[in-house]
Amino acid sequence: MKHEQKHNPPMKYGMAIDLDKCTGCGACMVACMAENNVSFKKDESNKLDSITWLRVYKLTNDKPYPNTDICYLPRPCQHCEGHGGHSPCVSVCPATATDYSRETGIVSQIYTRCFGCRYCMAACPYHARYFNWWDPVWPDGMEKYLSPNVSPRMRGVVEKCSFCFHRYQLAKNKAYLDGERTVPEAAYQTACTQACPAGAIVFGDLNNPNHQVHQVVKPDPKHGGKSKNPRAFRLLERLGTNPKIYYLSSREWVRRAGDNYLAHEKTGQVSKPHH
Amino acid sequence: MKVDRRSFLSFVIGGAAGTALSPLPWKLTDDSSIWSQMWPWTPVPPDGEVVYEDSTCSLCPGGCGISVRKVDNRAVKIEGKKGHPVNDGGICILGLSGLQLLYGPTRIKSPMKRIGERGEGKWQNISWDEATAILTEKLTDIRDKGEAHTVAAIAGSDSGTVPALLQRFMTAYGSPNFIRTPSHRDTDELAVKTLFGAIGRTGFDVENADFILSFGSGIVDGWGSPVRMFRASSLWKEKNTTVVQVEPRLSNSAAKATQWVPVNPGTEADLALGIAAVMVSQNMVDTGAVSGFSGWKNELLANYPTEKVSPITGVNADVIVELAKGFAKANRPLALCGRGKGLVPGSLREAAAIYALNALAGNINQDGGMWAVSEADYIQWPDVATDKLASSGLRQPRFDGAGAGQYAKARYLLNRLAVGVNGDGPYPLQVLLVAGANPCHDLPDTQSLQAAFAQIPFIVSFSSFKDETAAMADLLLPDHVYLERYEDVPVGAGLAHQVIGLSKPVVSPQFNTRHLGETLITAAKAMGGSIADAFPWDDYETCLEKTLAEKWDVLMEEGVWVETDIEPVADTVRLAGKDVPSVQAEGDVNSFPLLLIPYDSIRLSSGYIGDAPFMIKTVADTILKGKDGFVEINPQTASAAGFSEGALATLTTPRGEARVRIHLFEGIKPGVIAMARGLGHTAYDGYLAGKGVNVNELIGPVEDPSSGHDAAWGIRAKLAKA
Amino acid sequence: MMDSALIPKGVKRCPMWQFLLGLGIVGAVLAWGVYAMLLCWFKGLNQTNMNDYYGFALWIWADLAIIALGGGAFFSGLLKYIVGKDELKHIINYAVLIGFICYSSALLILAIDIGQPLRGWFIFWHANVHSMLTEVAFCLSCYFSVLTIEYIPLILENRQLDKVPFFHNLSHNMHETMAVFAATGAFLSFFHQGSLGGVAGVLFGRPFAFREGLLIWPWTFFLFTWSAAAYGPCFTLLITWITEKVTRKKLVKDNVVELLAKISGWMIFTYTIAKICDTARWANITVPGLGQTLTDFYTGNALYGYWILFAEIVLCGLVPAIILISAPLRKNPTWRVIALLLGVIGVSLNRWVMVLQVMAVPVMPFDHWALYYPSWQEVATTILPLAYGIMLIMISYRYLPIFPQEAELNPIEEETSAAVEAKTESTPDLEPAEA
Repeated sequence: MKHEQKHNPPMKYGMAIDLDKCTGCGACMVACMAENNVSFKKDESNKLDSITWLRVYKLTNDKPYPNTDICYLPRPCQHCEGHGGHSPCVSVCPATATDYSRETGIVSQIYTRCFGCRYCMAACPYHARYFNWWDPVWPDGMEKYLSPNVSPRMRGVVEKCSFCFHRYQLAKNKAYLDGERTVPEAAYQTACTQACPAGAIVFGDLNNPNHQVHQVVKPDPKHGGKSKNPRAFRLLERLGTNPKIYYLSSREWVRRAGDNYLAHEKTGQVSKPHH
Repeated sequence: MKVDRRSFLSFVIGGAAGTALSPLPWKLTDDSSIWSQMWPWTPVPPDGEVVYEDSTCSLCPGGCGISVRKVDNRAVKIEGKKGHPVNDGGICILGLSGLQLLYGPTRIKSPMKRIGERGEGKWQNISWDEATAILTEKLTDIRDKGEAHTVAAIAGSDSGTVPALLQRFMTAYGSPNFIRTPSHRDTDELAVKTLFGAIGRTGFDVENADFILSFGSGIVDGWGSPVRMFRASSLWKEKNTTVVQVEPRLSNSAAKATQWVPVNPGTEADLALGIAAVMVSQNMVDTGAVSGFSGWKNELLANYPTEKVSPITGVNADVIVELAKGFAKANRPLALCGRGKGLVPGSLREAAAIYALNALAGNINQDGGMWAVSEADYIQWPDVATDKLASSGLRQPRFDGAGAGQYAKARYLLNRLAVGVNGDGPYPLQVLLVAGANPCHDLPDTQSLQAAFAQIPFIVSFSSFKDETAAMADLLLPDHVYLERYEDVPVGAGLAHQVIGLSKPVVSPQFNTRHLGETLITAAKAMGGSIADAFPWDDYETCLEKTLAEKWDVLMEEGVWVETDIEPVADTVRLAGKDVPSVQAEGDVNSFPLLLIPYDSIRLSSGYIGDAPFMIKTVADTILKGKDGFVEINPQTASAAGFSEGALATLTTPRGEARVRIHLFEGIKPGVIAMARGLGHTAYDGYLAGKGVNVNELIGPVEDPSSGHDAAWGIRAKLAKA
Repeated sequence: MMDSALIPKGVKRCPMWQFLLGLGIVGAVLAWGVYAMLLCWFKGLNQTNMNDYYGFALWIWADLAIIALGGGAFFSGLLKYIVGKDELKHIINYAVLIGFICYSSALLILAIDIGQPLRGWFIFWHANVHSMLTEVAFCLSCYFSVLTIEYIPLILENRQLDKVPFFHNLSHNMHETMAVFAATGAFLSFFHQGSLGGVAGVLFGRPFAFREGLLIWPWTFFLFTWSAAAYGPCFTLLITWITEKVTRKKLVKDNVVELLAKISGWMIFTYTIAKICDTARWANITVPGLGQTLTDFYTGNALYGYWILFAEIVLCGLVPAIILISAPLRKNPTWRVIALLLGVIGVSLNRWVMVLQVMAVPVMPFDHWALYYPSWQEVATTILPLAYGIMLIMISYRYLPIFPQEAELNPIEEETSAAVEAKTESTPDLEPAEA
């Protein structure tokens, strides 16, 4: 390096989820709930009103028996970068309660700033945002396991996956105390990545060639971060949301299920940018 | 003072302007945003010093290492322990939910005695002294009458010091009736005994196998040690290992497999033997570790030609041949047995046929193969010196009939308890002790079992939770949960080596509960005589430390003890067990045109531990919606019967009837319907109770002709519009 | 009558008891709405049938619809004060009143709709200038102030208030400067009507709503302003017509009504052309570019079908436009009212589509249509503004000279007033006239 850098280059935390490995066991969902003090109700079977920052969808290939196939697809917040940080939700929030961090690429959510207009939910095509329709109530005694790192949300605000941002803060503080210039890859991992018993999730800095996630994804900055890995795809990539969750699958039907295509279009087809 | 209109208006306007200019409205506005962040009913978790404490999870037989994050004295998160030989950092959904069990309102918070009618839920808190006194007086009375054998104990396990203490207690007391809850382990042990001629269990070196042939084993649905299997599944993906899943339904395991072979339910043994027949006929077998081959071979070739096996199993002949070739030609092929999580013992014929495949592939006690190993035998206590009363009690036949007559091969037959109590037993049961088991929900034909429980005069539950069995009890002596206690956790669960984990108290006991080991030692001491003599330890911790001897220090240091260099119990497989009639589904085809099979899901805890709120939250709305449970049905079968997605239906089997909803699923064999295990609880709390249907109420045990073990894989059923 | 001193000179009003009875009936509906509103505030939005797929639902539709319908105020103000259509002064008061009701209702609904009403002011304090909703909030509140300013002189014209010299002068001076406020109002309205259109149009994650546009403004921005200007007067005229039927009086002269109707007709016509262009571009360029087709949006569910496009563009677009443009049809009261009604339905339908259908359409290929119906609390709180509007109209009509032409069109025969008053039981003013 010619010049000593005073500031670290911007990071872009992202994820690669190997759908060939994902078994749909749901450990990531619960790891997330346990890590982030996600509340729960007596009946959570209405999935349109059930806070699951990370939701695992079950996809089918729609072929009749016995050629049926299923695939599970975990969907955390996609931490869209959009164009220049204008992710669908960040640009619409009237009170700046959600923001795109240029330092980490993480889309934040400030619960105490949010006043619950839910415009961000309308803007998010992934349904990654959840509203606290109810007061969070923990059954008697269960509030004991709540972690002080993440504040429980109050009724009437929107919440979503933060890439376990509190873990980043802790790792960053530790790196600072240890005299390290950057947060080591292993020091900052999300709860879902850590828990996944199938090892299907890889998390790290997409900008850092030393990080495994970069090596798996091989993002192409010239094409809006599209992966050079032929197994990789992003959800609804054509909308220009520029998400940071990459999925890997060796099955064509799964990759095709990641986006909308006209009948004649090839899987992986890109759209012209509309901005 | 006279107020005219002008001065009044001036006052009002001036007042309004003054208020607006004062800090008051701004202060109130600002405060409002603070109030709305700090409603007193939204908890603020206190901060504190963070420490991690390692322990072993014993919520299932998997034996994973866990690392619990604590803030001061509160456990706030359970994570998988990095570097642990079983799970290396990974953790399953149940393990992650452990704190909801620890702190949850379904805990039994104190010893209690029943004061209302049975099952009414009226209890009175009592002291441990009183509780022990009630138990010991009751037991002493019965024993003094020479009826010690009329006491039975049900336990979820028979390995490790705590179950061993319970067994020892029963022996010293004088009852032959220690009963382990049924699981595939029963059949596995029997198969090892039958095929290898030795006591032991199988272990599978799945990581090193290069062709997996699973006969319905829920590789990623909770079979074996679940996290280890998830890891293996990913390893296979990386190594391009061929995985074949034989199963009537496209389970998650089938979806992860390279190939899904839909098979007629209950014909797995036939398919295994059909594959063996192809291997034999094409000379693709390794008979190095096989005895009794020639006679077996002739019968096999005569009875299981492909053209005969194909229509029975519903698998095309060329698929059978391909499977045989693939399996035989692989370097390290491995066949797995035990449906789903292995909750039902299954038939000896099936286990023997599948293990025979392993033997014929030459993988016995090989890398990537099937091992026959013994349990770690660290519990070396002196034999119990029984007194006269005990000796005479022990001479009585077992209540469940296991070990004698037609059930000679079985060790435990909990599935026969209901028929025993309901009239068929050798004597009436007077007392039932239940530890680490919830038979009133988990056993097939739950209604009969509950009826049987209702007839047992005195039931003691050691459960930590308000489960269905505890609801039927007269005395509750709640155990600590695993995060509050010391306990050795010997891990079987298909591991090819011996592993012992140690559970350590991560937090102090949250309620007035007592370690089961402690309860037993205290009770034994209170009963005095030879019973007290059988329990020479001051307390459970002393017992554990002495028992583990040199392993204690290792376990305290490492949390886990592993023996990889173990001698197999035997090297040769004596082929046998196939010439028994196959186990058929109960019910006649004409009245019940469909076949109902239960299936296991890792998201639904289907054993003694009930699903935690977090887990229930992850259950799909095509399995549970509101209070309704779903049956999966092929759209073809459904449309013939006029059912659409979500429709309400009445599901009837020879054993029971339930209201269900229809879920159309292409991934299930036409004519077969499937339902998830682990729902339909009536106990626990509103987060679990009343949700869905307990499939065990619709299915009855079917005795395996070889052993008497429950071998039911399903039941005939019909659906009618509700 | 007890309150005869308050009633404008030269006009006749129903007896007090009738007035109070009517007020009571509407008040009961209002109380029901207030009860639902309090439920929503104290128990939270779980009282609604909204969910994580329907973050925006009935309320936001009601907001958008009533703001569009209230657009008559700014557009007639623009026509009168800026364009110079002086005849409209005979209806402008009512247009302002209707606008005031619509906008205050919209603000009230917004205050119920947000999850943390106590923090609603964050939208100003922590404003994000990129958000269309911020633009809406600012312009909406400012325009509401303008409407209040426009409504105040009307209140001050009450017979008793007018006697206070200060009020008299204030009212007079405010009238003088009304052109400034009208211009401000028109400017603000352009932006908030537009930004309400932008709310949906900027959602680039939702191909059903998303539109390209000019600079930062998607085409829906302009379409919304245009449609509010076009259809708003329909609502003003429709409410005027209903008021005439209820009071059994002619309140506004035909030439005034016809002028506004004609302008509305041309506006609807041009708007519909623009809407057709927008739909064509969206359907043929935008949507296919994102890998979707109209089939994805209009099939595969129980409610949303191609009929919506027909209803919006033809039935409630071209049809009322033609009726209102054609002089013979426009002058026929029946045809005119049909056109006004279709217009009001049309703009409401458009707002429904741009809110509710946006939420309903699945975007991820493996996702499903989400349909929704409102809870009674949502319905009650949406009817609440209606009841409040009727009450405000009743009170304003009774005590304020809303319709300058009323006295001229309905001369009172002084000598019979006492006798009539005693007999009016049989002709309650507040009951709608037979259809």
